[in-house]
Parts: sequence; structure tokens; C-alpha cells
Amino acid sequence: MKKNMAMLLSVALLGASLTACSSSNDSSNNVKASSKPESSSESPALSGDDLAFSKFPKPVDVHIGMVVDPTDKTLPEGDSVSNNQYTRYLKEKYNINVIVDWTAATGNDFKQKVSLTIASGKLPDGMVVDDRSFMTKAASSGLLYDITDVFQQYQSSQVKDIMASTDGRALENASYKGKMVALPNITVDTDGVHVLWIRKDWLDKLQLPVPKTVADIEKTAQAFIDNKMGGDKTIGIAGPSKNSFPYSTFLVSSNNMGGFDPIFGAMDAYPGYWLDNGDGSVSYGTTSDNTKKTLALLADWYKKGLIDPEVGTRDNVGDPINANQTGIFFGPWWNGGYGNGDSFKNDPTANWQAYPVYSDDNKWNAHMKTTGSTYTIISKNAKPDVVKAIMIMNNALVRDEATFDLSVAVGWYPLRNVMAAANETEYEYTELLKVLKGETNPEDYNKPNSLYKLMYADAKKVKDVIKPPYDELGVSNFSTANFGDFQRLYSIMIGDRPFTTTPIDKKVYSVTYNQTPTMETKWANLKKMEDETVMKIILGQASIDSFDKFVKDWKSQGGDEITAEVAELLKK
Amino acid sequence: MRKLGHQKHYYLMLLPGMVWLVMFSIVPMFGVIMAFQNFNPGAGLFKSEWVGLENFKYMFQLNDSKTVIVNTFIIAVGKIIFNLLIPLIFAILLNELRSLRYKKLVQTVVYLPHFLSWVIMSTIVIGIFGYYGVVNTVIGMFGFDPKLFMADAGIFRQLIIGTDVWKEFGYNAIIYLAALTGINLNLYEAAAIDGANRWQLIRHVTLPALTTTVVLLGVLSLGNVLNAGFDQVYNLYNPLVYSTGDILDTWVYRLGLQNLQFSLATAAGLFKSVISFVLIFISYRLAYRYADYTVF
Amino acid sequence: MVRNTTLGSRTFEIANIIVLGLLLISCIYPLWYTFCVSISDKSAANAGLVTIYPIGFSLTPYKEIISDSMFFNAFWISIQRTVLGTSFTLLMTVLMAYPLARPSKDFKMRNTFMWILVFCMLFSGGLIPWYLTIQNYHLINTIWALVLGGGVPVFDVILIMNFFRNLPKELNEAAVVDGAGPWSILFRVYIPCSIPVLAAVALFISVYHWNEFFNGLVLSNTSSHYPLQTYIQQLVVNIPVGTNLTPEQYKKLSELSNRTLNSAKVFIAMVPMLVVYPFLQKYFVSGIMLGAVKE
Repeated sequence: MKKNMAMLLSVALLGASLTACSSSNDSSNNVKASSKPESSSESPALSGDDLAFSKFPKPVDVHIGMVVDPTDKTLPEGDSVSNNQYTRYLKEKYNINVIVDWTAATGNDFKQKVSLTIASGKLPDGMVVDDRSFMTKAASSGLLYDITDVFQQYQSSQVKDIMASTDGRALENASYKGKMVALPNITVDTDGVHVLWIRKDWLDKLQLPVPKTVADIEKTAQAFIDNKMGGDKTIGIAGPSKNSFPYSTFLVSSNNMGGFDPIFGAMDAYPGYWLDNGDGSVSYGTTSDNTKKTLALLADWYKKGLIDPEVGTRDNVGDPINANQTGIFFGPWWNGGYGNGDSFKNDPTANWQAYPVYSDDNKWNAHMKTTGSTYTIISKNAKPDVVKAIMIMNNALVRDEATFDLSVAVGWYPLRNVMAAANETEYEYTELLKVLKGETNPEDYNKPNSLYKLMYADAKKVKDVIKPPYDELGVSNFSTANFGDFQRLYSIMIGDRPFTTTPIDKKVYSVTYNQTPTMETKWANLKKMEDETVMKIILGQASIDSFDKFVKDWKSQGGDEITAEVAELLKK
Repeated sequence: MRKLGHQKHYYLMLLPGMVWLVMFSIVPMFGVIMAFQNFNPGAGLFKSEWVGLENFKYMFQLNDSKTVIVNTFIIAVGKIIFNLLIPLIFAILLNELRSLRYKKLVQTVVYLPHFLSWVIMSTIVIGIFGYYGVVNTVIGMFGFDPKLFMADAGIFRQLIIGTDVWKEFGYNAIIYLAALTGINLNLYEAAAIDGANRWQLIRHVTLPALTTTVVLLGVLSLGNVLNAGFDQVYNLYNPLVYSTGDILDTWVYRLGLQNLQFSLATAAGLFKSVISFVLIFISYRLAYRYADYTVF
Repeated sequence: MVRNTTLGSRTFEIANIIVLGLLLISCIYPLWYTFCVSISDKSAANAGLVTIYPIGFSLTPYKEIISDSMFFNAFWISIQRTVLGTSFTLLMTVLMAYPLARPSKDFKMRNTFMWILVFCMLFSGGLIPWYLTIQNYHLINTIWALVLGGGVPVFDVILIMNFFRNLPKELNEAAVVDGAGPWSILFRVYIPCSIPVLAAVALFISVYHWNEFFNGLVLSNTSSHYPLQTYIQQLVVNIPVGTNLTPEQYKKLSELSNRTLNSAKVFIAMVPMLVVYPFLQKYFVSGIMLGAVKE
């Protein structure tokens, strides 16, 4: 009857409107990457750094989706995400008009918004995604602009140097099927180097030496527990939470706070990594014998009560650390300082120190991370000027970050995707020590084009934060008057000391840090098996013999297939 | 006669709601074709490659799909049963209280946990069942060793069901309480005069008044037979309990998280919907045929 | 109530009081815990040290919240959403429930509509099509997206419909004899007789709107459009599993994991519901029989 007809009509109408809206995606103008150098219409062709920092004759609108920090209060009254010192800077100097289409908070919110945006097929001109699979999904769906040529043309000399320092790995990371489809993120190498963090003050009280090998750590942890250094519920060694991992893997290769990475390294095991066997074949580190041995060791430690009994189930990896219950944990350079600020607040004498963990034959083995894990992706439908604008924004950030007034958090810079010199932290460690000892002056580092953007600011404050003697820095040397400064300098001067001063004997890179085609369908299942087996062995719920069954199952459920695919990559 | 004229009024009354339904439920429903496609955002809904039942085949041939579906089913059904029974028992017990003040107090307080999201509640639950938590302390008083509950796959499902029932019983009881207010107090008086004791009163006065509500809620909750509760499980689980705790939604979430597998998620959703619909339809027919009761 | 003074009855009453009392305590604990964390010292809370009582004392989080204009902006949006959403939805559901409560002989298409509703309750195209639809209606970033986005609450429609169906037929017939049409019957007879269930449904709907955070996130482009729970949940640590965090990100997330502040925000967000409930509660605790038909 009439009502039903009306309903059917409206359904059909709305269905039709959906069609119209979603097909507008591919019927709109397909912008191709410019393949020849373009000159601005009237003036002579610019090149090099002139081009990299050129100002547009007319304002260029760049639409972006942006991640924000909801707790940040550093924007002055009246400023917003679309109007602040950084957006004004871009407008004045380059005639780039940043329009923020949407924002979302760091973490799951942002991931959610990004996946919806990609699913809708309508990307803003630019956005920074924090998961490589988002980039590859967008690329495989034909949504991304091929920036191979534009990037070559427009990169500043600084950016070029930074890219070069990665030996082509950054370029590969940001490419899909041979084309560069994103601006890569390049972060410091040390983020992927995991060290031993230990309460030196407890060691001193018990008059114990700093543990060097795995066996030493066992003894030390036992001593901490026997002497109840952290109270009645002392934990020898803190480990992963319900959300974190016992070791970093080729897909998530850095910043593993509370894992067991150095233990595996000391046993010459590299679980989670694809290893080049040297004979043209590869193997997956988790299936190796050394991994099995290490797991047996960890299971033994757990049984002896040396490891946190709640390992693998805890809500938050930092809890036992911040509560000063534990004396030992493992993680990268910034875990002491940035990562455990509350520990110092709860106990100002907590002298956390960082050291490498050595194998029995005195070698420091460490797996190394991929170059970066965030990507600035650009919509295929962006106009050529907009694409160039985004290149320039990146150049400007790298060059000028040091000159900004950092009282307004630099996270507000639109499309910020960090490109740092891979050894920035080590450089700072060495130079800051010189400043402390009076060998150099803070002013010496006042170089606008410097590769090390934060050096000058840090050099100016280091003497206020760190007091002499400078030889063996400990928590007592540090002033916590400005807690943020304290955290940063603690992490650099103490956390990065091992990586700066001690050479790693064996650096292990994964054959690949990305997914192969078969991984897209089979990896989730294999990973689930891996995670389950590893944790069950450590907690004693499964015997070490179950490891062999795991390896067998892993191989037959896709592991062999994938291993062959990874081996193919070696040939390139 | 007069009643026929009423028909057009009925349509009019339904109209705004139906427009709302069409606009926000029916139109998006066309998107379910994503379950049969290899959805490519660049091509959109109408131009993505059609793959028929591929997504479903992929889902079911993965090794752990059966375990995951069984886990989902057990947890969801456990929740359905206890989320029907416990609030009912609670409502009856509350009804038996004589002090109106105490009644109001209890009722107001027990519905509070409903308001805290699982993100927050999970911290509390993990704390309570933690190695040094309340439960282990109590167990310790009886001389037993502490147990790491959160790592125990054997009781994880019970933990999920139990904590969910506890969190929701106060809120779920509201509808029973509303139904109980409709009971004619004279019925109690009359039955008491006839010599009925408390238990008989409950059985012959209170319960019958709640029967239709229970059946209605029961049938409707069949719609959730594969909804084991993503938020709760996601915030409480860890690799040690995957074997019993990994449910359809968390499993799809992990598969999807890696690769933005939109089609797979839609396929899983469609699977859930079909099962739920079939079950509701069957129970509707059964109620009609054997109890002469039209559920809705 | 009927008084039974046998020993068994007395024992039962006492046991009942105790059992309900235990439930009371267990249910108030999460709230108490959240409150304790919110007034505790920040570092102690962040270390997970607070369990049964506060450690240290600090009202800083509450002071910060009072001075955070975004919080109140989100609060106001939630109030708008809840008021608009509840009144609109309640009206819609009642309007739908009445015709569906009519027997099939009175309303021929009744069963068809009912099954359409049930179907829509169970089947959905999923998140993406739903999002794209709303985007195409240009409702993103508006209050209407939040009010309408959840769709027709079929469960509530069925609940009210069922209640209507169980009302004595005499009510309807008496009104018809008096010459009333469906609209008057609905508004003058059925609604007044259904206050308990309407109050319950009003509570359900308002709680849904007040607590709902996911739609608030995906249907808004900036945080100035977030309703309260969306605003709050972005502040609770939610480190996506399997992410590489840079130290800066971790530092940000550590700030986000400022448990005292988060607890304070959660606590404040619950207050309106605590206030509304007792107000609605009187409709379904009193046990007053609402009948208006002479037998």
C-alpha cells in the first residue's frame, strides 16, 4: 500500500545516494605524481634548499587529520589546533594554510578515526598514521599519492642526510611495491636497544657488584628478594603486563618496556626476528634452540619466584616499578627517567642505573629496530601544490624545531612526523658531558641548521639539573626542581650511557620488518600460538617440551610458507 | 467498524519511528554486502571485488575458529542464563524486605557498577583477583596457597560471567522491580489469609507476575547468544587465557587490527546476526506453539 | 506487607538482610575505590598502591577539572544529548509500541512491522556502512548524530509494547465506548497506566545516552564536540596493543595515566546519574497499584 511504497522509494533513494557518494571517489580526477621538475610559473626554476623552503605565491590549503594530546595545556589562551604558533609560522613563511578537518587523542581513539577514514576512502590531504598496516592498506587500495619524485626534488639537504644515514632502510620502510608512498619516520636507534635497569642503591646496600651475565642477574634478584629490599612483596625481576610483550618482534621492534629482550640476546636468541642464516635461507628466531633454552631459563626463574608472580596478567607494566617493589627490569634508554617518573617521586633515593647484559663469553648481543613506525600519508586526490606543501612542512620542521619556543609543545606542529638523526641521543650524551665538565659552552651548540635539534636547549639547562661530581652520575646528582627536565636528562645521561659508551658486539637486524602477503592471512593465528606458548612456558603452565610441538604446529600452519617468502626478500 | 478507521492512525503513529529506522538501520544494512566482498576502500561498496563466501570459509578454516566460537557461545549463554536468574532472585529478595529505606538504599547502590566502564572495572577486578588481592588474602586465611586467577584458563570463563553478572545485576533488576510494582497487594493479603507461607506467596503470587517479563527478556537475550562482551574480555584477557577466553570479537579484532580487514569483521558480524535471528525465531515459534504465548 | 512471624520466616529475613548487605558493600566498592584514588597522592595512585583507603590527600585533580573548560563543554553536550535523546526516543518508542500492542485483527500489518523491527535489531551492515551513511547525511559533528545515531531502540519498544498488551482489555474498551480515538487512548489511558515501565525505559535511555562514548568519538571531528564520556575515555590509558611507542608518546600516555585525575573525572561524570536515579526510583519502588477500571 501507500506506506510500503513510500518506504521502498525512500530506501531506493537513499541507497542511490550512497552509490553516488562512494563512487565519487574514483570518478574524481586521478592526480598523478609529477614526473618532471616543475618550475613556478614566472621565476627561474628553484632547486635544492631554495626549493625545499620556497614560499608559495598564493596561499595553499592543506587539509589534515591530526593526533592531539588531550592533557596538553601548553597552548596559550585563544590558540587552538588550527591556530597556534606553528600554523602561523607556516602561513607567514611559506603561505601554507593548515586546515584541520578532524582530531583525535593519541592511542586507540586516533587509530579508530584513521581506520574509519581509510574505510571511507576519503583521506584528508595528509595525516600521520602510526601503524604500517594502515599505510599498506591505504596504498593497496589505491588511495595514496606516489611521492617518489616529489620527495626527491623537494627534500632539504638535512632531510637528505638523515635519510642517507639509514642506508636506504627508511626509504624501503616508506615504500609500497617500489613506490614511495609516505614520509617515513626516523627515530633514534637506541629506542630499540634494551638494557638492564637496576636499583644501584640496593646493590650498594647489599654490597653486591653490578650483574653482568644472566647468571649474575639470577643471583642478584635472589639477593634482593631474600633481603626484602622492596618490602614484604619484593619482586626480583619485573616483566610484561597483559598488554606488553616478553620480547620485541620484527613488527614492533622497539620500546619494549618490561620485556626480557637483553636476556634473550645474552643467550644469543632473537625470538620475533627473521634471521639470515647466511646460506640463503632464513629462520624465525622464536623457533630456534637458543630461544628454547632461554624460555627454559625464564621458566626456572619464575618457578624460583625471581620473576613477578603476576607477570603476563598485570594491568600496567609500570606498577611494580613505580611502587619501588622491584629492583630489576629491562627496557630501552628512556625507561629510567621518562618511563618511571613516579618511582622517583615515591622514593627520591631510587638510583636506577642502566647496563648491558652480557653473554657468558662476554659479548653484548642486541637486536636492532626498524627505522621508524609512523608514516605521513598523502591522499591521491591532493593537488600537486598541496603535496609540495607537505614536503616543505616536513623540511621546515626538521630544520627549525630547535628554534621554536618549546613552551608550546611541539606536538602541535601539523603533520609532525619525527625525522631524527639515528644517533641523536648518543651525540647528546657525549656533548652534554663535555658541557658539564666545562670543556664546551652551551653557546657552541647554537647552530640553526644543526642535525641535533634539541642539543642547544638541553645544553643550556644541563648544569642546573645535574650537579658535580660528574664521573659516576646517580640520582643524587640530579635536581628534580623541573621534573620534566629531570626526566629527560636522566634518560639521556644514565639511560643512554650503555649504548653510547659500550659497543654492541653483535647487532642483529631482522631480514624484514614488514608483512609479506601470506602474513596478511596467517600471521594473526601464528602470533597467537606464539604468545600463548611462550607465556605458558614461562609461567610453568606448560612444560618446555611443548615448545617442540609449537614449532611443528607453527611450521605447518603457515610458518614454512611465510619463511620461504621472507627468504625471497634476501635475494633483492 | 469504528476500529477500521483506527488503522490509519496506527500507521501515523508508526511513521516517525519507521523513518528513523529506515534512515539509520535499513540504509546502512546494505553495507552487509561487504561480507561477501574483498572490500577495497578505494573502490567503495559498489565496486569492490565480489568473493562470495570466501571470507566465511577463511574464518572457519583457521585453526582456532572452532575454539573461539565455542568460547563465545559458552560465555554468552552463561551470561544470558545468569543475567536472567540473578537479577530475578535479587528482585524477589529485595521485594521481601520490610524496611522501605533499606530497600531504596540497596537498590540505589547495586545499580552503580553498571556505570563504570570495563576499562576502569578491569583494573579493579585484576586487583581483587591479583596475587596479593582480596580473594587470595581470604584464601590465605584458610590456609591455602595464593592462586594467580587471571592466568588460569580453567576459570577464566567463570570469571568473565561472574564479574559481568555482578556488574549488571542491579541494573538488570530494574525491569523486574518495575513489573513487581504492578502486583495487586490484595493478592498477597488474600493468599496469606488462606494460610500461605512466604515461600508459597513467592511461588504463587510474585513469580507468576514476573513470568512474562522473564520469558520476554529471555527470548530477546537470545539476540546476544554470540555476544560475549568485547570490552570486558579485551580488558581482562592475556595470552595465558586465550584458549578459553578468546571470543569471536577479540579474535576478529586482532585479525582486523593487523590489516584493517573490514570484510572479515562484517562477515563475523553477519554470522552472529544470522545465528541470533534463527534462535529467536525458533524460540518464538516454540513459545507460541507450546505455551500459547506470543512473545512479541 | 504480609507479616509472618515464624522462626523460619524470621531467619529468612535476617539472612536476606545480610546477603543484600554484602551485595551492597561489594557494589559500592568500585565507587569507593575510584573516589579514594581520586583524592590520593598522584604517585602512589600511579604505582597501584591505593586499594581500600586513600593514600595521601590531594584535591588537585578536582581543582584542575573545575578550571578545565573543555570538561564542562563536554558535560553540557552530554546534558543536551541526554535530555534531547531521552525525550525524543521515549516519544518515538511509545508511539511505536501502542500500534504494535494492538491485536492483529485490529491492526493488520502488525506482525510485519514487528518482525521488521526485530530483524533490524539483529542485523546491521556494520560500523563502516553506518558511519558512511551518517556522513552522507552531513550529520557528523552535530548533536542530532548523537541523538539519532543509535537508531530505534527495538528492545525498549518491545518492552513497552508488552506492558501495554498486558494491561486489561477493559481499559481500551471502556475508552472506545467513551468515543476516544487511538491518540486519546494512548495519551490519556495507556501512558498514565504505564508509569513504572515508562520510568524504567526513560532511565535506560538516559543512561545509554549519558554513558555512551563510542558514537561520540566517531561522529565528532574535534574534541569540542565530544560528549562527556568520550572526553573522559580519551584520558584513560588505552595503549593499543602492538604499537611502537616513542618516549614522547609514552610520556604523553603516562600523563594520560594520571590515575587520580582520571578517577576524579570518572567520579564527577557519574554524579548526574546518581542524582537522577532516586528521582525516577520512586516510580518503581512504591508498589502502588495503578488501576482505574471498575470490575
